[in-house]
Amino acid sequence: MVNYDSNSLLNTFLIWMLKTDRSSLKPPFRADYYSSYCSYTIQTMHRWKEMETRLALPAGKVTIEQLCKSGNSGVMPSSLPQLPITVEERFLELPDSHQIPVDEMGNPLVSPYSSYVANTGNVQTLHSSPSGSSSVHQYPPRLPHERHTNANNTAINAGNSLSTYSSHKGAFQASTNNFSKDPVEVTWSLDSVQGILNSDDDITGSNPIQSSSVMITHDLSNQKEWWNNIENEDWKELLSDMTAVESQPKVVYPAAQTSQNISVLHSQTYQSVPCHSGDLTVVTSPLSTTTAAAVKPRMRWTPELHECFVNAVNQLGGGEKATPKGVLKLMKVEGLTIYHVKSHLQKYRTAHYSSDSSEGTSEKKATQSEEFPALDLKKGFDLTEALRLQMEVQKRLHEQLEIQRNLQLRIEEQGKYLQIMFEKQCKSTMDKLHVPSTAEEPLSASSDLPTHMTIRTDSSIDPKKAEESFKQVVTKRKMPEVDPSSPRDTDAIISTTSSSAKCSRAEDDEL
Amino acid sequence: MVATGIRTSDLTARARVKGFCSRELGPAEINSVLRDMKFGKRLKEQIEETLPAWRDEFLSYKDLKQLVKLIPEAQPCSKVEAEFIELLNFEIDKLNAFFVGREEEFIIRQRHLQEMVKRVAEMYQARGREEEYAKEMSRIRKEIVNLHGEMVLLENYSSINYIGLAKILKKYDKRSGRLLRLLFIEKILKQPFFTTDLISKLVKECESMIDLVFPSESDHQQLKPEDKRKLVGEEQSIFRSTVVALVTMQEMRKGSSTYGQFSLPPLSLPDNLLQSLQPTPIPIP
Repeated sequence: MVNYDSNSLLNTFLIWMLKTDRSSLKPPFRADYYSSYCSYTIQTMHRWKEMETRLALPAGKVTIEQLCKSGNSGVMPSSLPQLPITVEERFLELPDSHQIPVDEMGNPLVSPYSSYVANTGNVQTLHSSPSGSSSVHQYPPRLPHERHTNANNTAINAGNSLSTYSSHKGAFQASTNNFSKDPVEVTWSLDSVQGILNSDDDITGSNPIQSSSVMITHDLSNQKEWWNNIENEDWKELLSDMTAVESQPKVVYPAAQTSQNISVLHSQTYQSVPCHSGDLTVVTSPLSTTTAAAVKPRMRWTPELHECFVNAVNQLGGGEKATPKGVLKLMKVEGLTIYHVKSHLQKYRTAHYSSDSSEGTSEKKATQSEEFPALDLKKGFDLTEALRLQMEVQKRLHEQLEIQRNLQLRIEEQGKYLQIMFEKQCKSTMDKLHVPSTAEEPLSASSDLPTHMTIRTDSSIDPKKAEESFKQVVTKRKMPEVDPSSPRDTDAIISTTSSSAKCSRAEDDEL
Repeated sequence: MVATGIRTSDLTARARVKGFCSRELGPAEINSVLRDMKFGKRLKEQIEETLPAWRDEFLSYKDLKQLVKLIPEAQPCSKVEAEFIELLNFEIDKLNAFFVGREEEFIIRQRHLQEMVKRVAEMYQARGREEEYAKEMSRIRKEIVNLHGEMVLLENYSSINYIGLAKILKKYDKRSGRLLRLLFIEKILKQPFFTTDLISKLVKECESMIDLVFPSESDHQQLKPEDKRKLVGEEQSIFRSTVVALVTMQEMRKGSSTYGQFSLPPLSLPDNLLQSLQPTPIPIP
């Protein structure tokens, strides 16, 4: 069951704040993401409402229904100045942004949060909200039983929750890019953050962070002091996150192994880490600059990094003799922790020291054969030939998977592109309140589209309707490509990609 | 052509459920049932046919689907939806963890095998100890081919989980009327488990290693068809898994009732490689 413990969320944020190297923080907040955050807050408030209901708190609180409703009906953020900004929003930071929410919302960004904090009972000082968000201050008072949340749990939650923010950053950027105008969509895009946060609350079982995090000894009473300090600081600093490498895939998830993890960010190219240089670093998220211990994200090894590892191991006398500590020191890779090295060394030993020991029956071979007894020697069988056949099938599968993957990427790209186009048209339709003649052109410009299959915009003032027709169009658009009887279609794969190209070109022209 | 690993009795039962007539099914009918097979079932089969250690690591498609079914229509701020998203994120994390762990392992093994090849060449071939060389090389070849197979299966793992996620998001969007799919897919495309470039590179390196260590083509003899089928029939082997993966891919892309803009076109396999591997339609235990 989801644990909507607001206290743990608070602690998450506080711990993050304490351990983040401020100098690495960047100004991230963009005004156009603001609507997203607002909607997201609505969701959070809804959860608080549930908590309230459960605990039968006094009346006089903000009516969540009102806020929910207003949020979902597309009211712009400016009409909701009293939304408490939650911990989660801090982590929705995106790169390359230079505005802070303060512009949009004024100080409420600060004060609602502080009221939240106050309500959770950790911070005694209430900072007044310039925009008069008095209703917010009545927000769910801190519940007595929550105060005694196990420090370990909260820390674990913190560790767990933190990591997932980075992985969803990309999502949010995407969402706001596409859906910043549509509150319903935005609402649900942000819900995932909440989901993440809460899901991680439950995944504490085998979390190694418990044992090793230095930040877990966070004292709740220090929060007050910290909060006071925060108040005076530039919010730009605070509102940052793993921003610099937003475009790179992040490996972020609850640690299931005993190794401690940090996030190592990888772009599509691999980080080269020559050991001899000594100062080349594995890219890490800003979260892990100070204490890697409390950070969840997992590391992703590369061949180059492994090479570095092997060199270090050999220097220390081989896999059996080398110690994680020694290897770590020799490797001199910034951001690498002993836990990474330890688990990697373990895997290394498994791979090496069973097969190296003897030439006959090796342990590794035996385990492997048990797991996947591929092509046991059968009588009358030529092993090499069997291997060749196996190889052939595998190569074929690999080929097809690559093709499939490229297709999928292209399809998604195209889908997103069309969606943006559609939204633009939708917006222009609504703006002009008449049938724009340009609406039909982009889609019909593609030679794959029969001319009658265009969006009918005369009836599409209603976005939902337009969306339906859009979906119809793209569905129909796709179908002819694969229909073998279609004269335009010889090879399904080729036509798919060529039509994507055509469509993109056509739409580019339109733009 | 019947997919391996699927009992004809099962197919017949399924066909009955779908309203086909109750007599025994011929191959064509079986294929049509296969075509209508839902992704969930295909995924289940893939999981059954996959390497044992991997069985728990696939997407929990069924659970996600059940959650989607529970979503109340056109209601804002539903708790079930929140749970769905939560599970979704958990699953993505799980996929990432497994994928990255395996990837790490493959990096280690690949490098190890490269070392071994060199070492064996030095120790035996260079010193003229042909027999030992041949023996060691044979063992190494097998390990390289298996490593290659596992890596390709990992790619397949990535692909099939991605497809599952795409499908479940489509269902979610349909059910809830929201537009979560595009948003989530964008995020998923960047996830470690889907960014298979490194694995792809390793696979290619592996293939070139294979070319080095395998004897030249000229002196090989083709395997007899029954031998080929025996290979496929072997349970829980890498080979079998890859064959099943290929067949499943082919079947999944043959066409479905819910064809949309995000569906993949049919698979085109130029030669009859798969045909030569397909067993005759008899139940495979």
